[in-house]
Amino acid sequence: MTLINNKNITRAVLILSFILINVLLLLGISKVLDFLNSGADRSSMLHLEKETFNTYLPKVVWERSENPGRIMELNTLKKIEKDYLFSWYVKNKSLQENSKSGIADYYTQNTRQNLYNTLKYNIKNEITIESTTLKHNPKLDFYSADGQLVVFTDKNVVEFQKIYQKKKLIAAVQDTATYKVMMLFEDGFWRVRHLQKIEKTIFSSDTTKSNPVFKVKGDKITTNNLNFTIKGINYYPKNSAWDTFGNSFNIDIISKDFDIIKNAKLNTVRIFIQYEDFGKADVKQEKIDKLKKILDLATSKNLFVIVTLFDFYSDYTLENWTLTHRHAEKIVSSFKDHKAILAWDLKNEPNLDFENRDKNNVLNWLEQMITVVKESDPNHLVTIGWSNSTEATHLANKVDFVSYHFYNAIEDLEKETKTFEQITKKPIVIEEFGVPSYKGIWNLNGANEEEQAQYHKKMQELFKKNNFAFMSWTLYDFPHVPDQVAGKWPWQKKRQKRFGFINVNGGKKPSFLYINH
Amino acid sequence: MRKVVYIIFLMSIVLLVAFGTSLETTKKANFILDTKTKFFVAGKEVKIQFTSNLQATVPQLYIVHSYGKTLIQGTNKNGKLTFKLPQIYSNKTGIVSWFLIFNEEIVTQGVFEITPNRNKQTKIENYLGPRSILAGGKQSTMMVAVPTDGLDNPVIENTPVLIKNQFFNNITIDARKTKNFIAWKNIFSDRQIGKILFSTECKNIVTKEIDTEVCPNIASNFSIHFTRNHEFADGNQITTLSTSIIKDQFDNIVSDGTLVTFIIINQKSTILKTFGTTIKGIATGQLLHPDHPDLYTVKGYITGISESNSLFINYKPILSAFNFTFSDQNRTITVGPLKSFMNQLVPDGIKVTVKIIHENKLVATLQEDSSNGITTFHILADFYKAKNYRFEITTLGITQKSQLKYYDLNQ
Repeated sequence: MTLINNKNITRAVLILSFILINVLLLLGISKVLDFLNSGADRSSMLHLEKETFNTYLPKVVWERSENPGRIMELNTLKKIEKDYLFSWYVKNKSLQENSKSGIADYYTQNTRQNLYNTLKYNIKNEITIESTTLKHNPKLDFYSADGQLVVFTDKNVVEFQKIYQKKKLIAAVQDTATYKVMMLFEDGFWRVRHLQKIEKTIFSSDTTKSNPVFKVKGDKITTNNLNFTIKGINYYPKNSAWDTFGNSFNIDIISKDFDIIKNAKLNTVRIFIQYEDFGKADVKQEKIDKLKKILDLATSKNLFVIVTLFDFYSDYTLENWTLTHRHAEKIVSSFKDHKAILAWDLKNEPNLDFENRDKNNVLNWLEQMITVVKESDPNHLVTIGWSNSTEATHLANKVDFVSYHFYNAIEDLEKETKTFEQITKKPIVIEEFGVPSYKGIWNLNGANEEEQAQYHKKMQELFKKNNFAFMSWTLYDFPHVPDQVAGKWPWQKKRQKRFGFINVNGGKKPSFLYINH
Repeated sequence: MRKVVYIIFLMSIVLLVAFGTSLETTKKANFILDTKTKFFVAGKEVKIQFTSNLQATVPQLYIVHSYGKTLIQGTNKNGKLTFKLPQIYSNKTGIVSWFLIFNEEIVTQGVFEITPNRNKQTKIENYLGPRSILAGGKQSTMMVAVPTDGLDNPVIENTPVLIKNQFFNNITIDARKTKNFIAWKNIFSDRQIGKILFSTECKNIVTKEIDTEVCPNIASNFSIHFTRNHEFADGNQITTLSTSIIKDQFDNIVSDGTLVTFIIINQKSTILKTFGTTIKGIATGQLLHPDHPDLYTVKGYITGISESNSLFINYKPILSAFNFTFSDQNRTITVGPLKSFMNQLVPDGIKVTVKIIHENKLVATLQEDSSNGITTFHILADFYKAKNYRFEITTLGITQKSQLKYYDLNQ
């Protein structure tokens, strides 16, 4: 008797294949039904998707004016503003994609021909133009008695554009221009009838007085006319690394941590704000409140804070510039008078995005962001946290002090920083440095806790000798590190978890002795 | 030693020859703007010229125009760079910013202006509104004229525009100057109703006429009166309420279709309503006569605007008493014949009610309509099983009581 009966095998195969075919058939049918059920999105029928919110948000400031016609209603003004911005948005979009989409909604019949002509010409010559406007300062000139016609002057519109021919970048151009605009109310849309670029207007410069706590004098940061050397630390709560303002936000824990920092005689803390976490262009009040709590806490502990914006943001495309501007504006202007803030750090290590996001794009974005932040908050310093001293030369003349991160060999610290001091006259801050105490299968050459302590000891000696401003990375070892930070692989993550002066159980590591000099 | 010098010299010659062409581009390029004029006329050719030390390479000119942005490829003739603006741009007015781009850098930049073409025939767009206003001089209509040159460019500031308007014998011509693309004028209404005609003229080009309707202003108070066939409360005839000719304070008859509400309050303080819309200022409302004597107080309103005097309408009873008989062992009550004011039978459909009362308690109320003046009620044995009943019969506002009636079969 054979244990394996050939007949049984055939049967089994037959039954199994029958089941398999059935499963596949059902899957196929469900896919087809699924496809047939998908269709036009109902919300698109009523143009409801056309909200400028989170699409295009350049700064718009209406100048007060007496127009000779009808008194302007506030809601009409809002509608005009919205449609006018959309007219720019569809124009920008069409120049970028060389498509007519949306133009008919925001330009009258005669006027849209002019844009179509431009598109035709650009298509022929393979020209595409990415552009965005950053600021509008409209002033109402006329509003007709029947509320159907409006004329206004949009003063000093700041336009930023990148020109491509045959997909090759030709140049990036910033232009400021004043436009006179006539719009008609047709079919529920305010549409552009006449648009004319006119002479630029000269603005009286802003008279908002700044009242800074920290100033830059030569290569020194000063407060109350005394030199201030930053002795600081990068900070995340132990259990919410890269998520300070998330659900596990607990001001008591932060308070205890600030006590540790204060007792170590450090004077500055660097914290991070994640772009998406704070709600992108529509900044969440809840997050602002949490940030305020931290800043108030810092004030009470007599600590200063460097707030790093745009963490985990890496888009930089012109299309989204205005959204990031509104994000920064909202946060920065909310705290423009807060005494705890030392500086706004615009972006952590933006040079890491140079390769994937186009270097010029990143630099242009940063440069504009400096302007936006300075305008919204003239009281605090601005810096950018470059990941090494070579890249830190970018925009060095635009920031108030230059920050870079030092993860090289100890011997290079003095050389690098001194070389850099020759290049820039601004104060220099070593905004991050440190070494993980991880020696294990993923990092055989790594340092153990003792070696980490030695590293910090040597670094502190150098800081003391040269009076360098420093901020170490970081207060805690982290039990959990999100993938976005260093990567998802264990050899990337393990290192990142052990940079702290205090281990995951709350015990001080040997390096804690050398947290300061 | 000398050999070495020679070799180096020769090498450098070779290198110079080899890279000579590229050296031209790497040497500092300079560009001087030759086009001195800053103004061009729309529709004419626009050329921007530069002198450069470049002999062959041509930089590009990027322009930002009111209606678009583009790159222009120029020509280079022995260091003379020429850029011709495409006609689509040279046709449209406004400031044009230009940026000369060489090796991804803006080497020089500037602006020029394209002004409207006076020689092209002017066109005028007129926007008039509101298109209907109220008489009386408080409301106005606004005429906005937008003259453009033949290329659809707004004309230059301060171009004179004639705004003409006519109202009956009054013709006004007013010269206004354009500002912010437009010339405009407010025209206030008169006390009279009618049409104001408008037209405009700019550089001898005239437009068609368009008009604004001057409508009557809101109604002032009015009076009402009524007409009816007779004064009796027969529940059949109709009383017609009508208003005087309703006018506004300037003696204009109000617009047709003005809604007048007549509010009627009867003696029991019940409110009745009837409506009418005006034709030539008169609104009429209709009202059915009551079926019992009553006094109506009537007042007309145009809601929120005006009201009339109060009017009293008295309705007299058509009879003072009526007959009723019991038959069929008191099981049938025949009411009538009901007779009206001149002894005629009442119209069909007069409501008659009978209240059935047993030992001073209301047992039931029956209601029937009259036919040929007669109404019949059946007191069915199956329903009304008591020994005796009393009845109260009401019609046309009059109530009569029966005696106590006995029902033997129910014992």
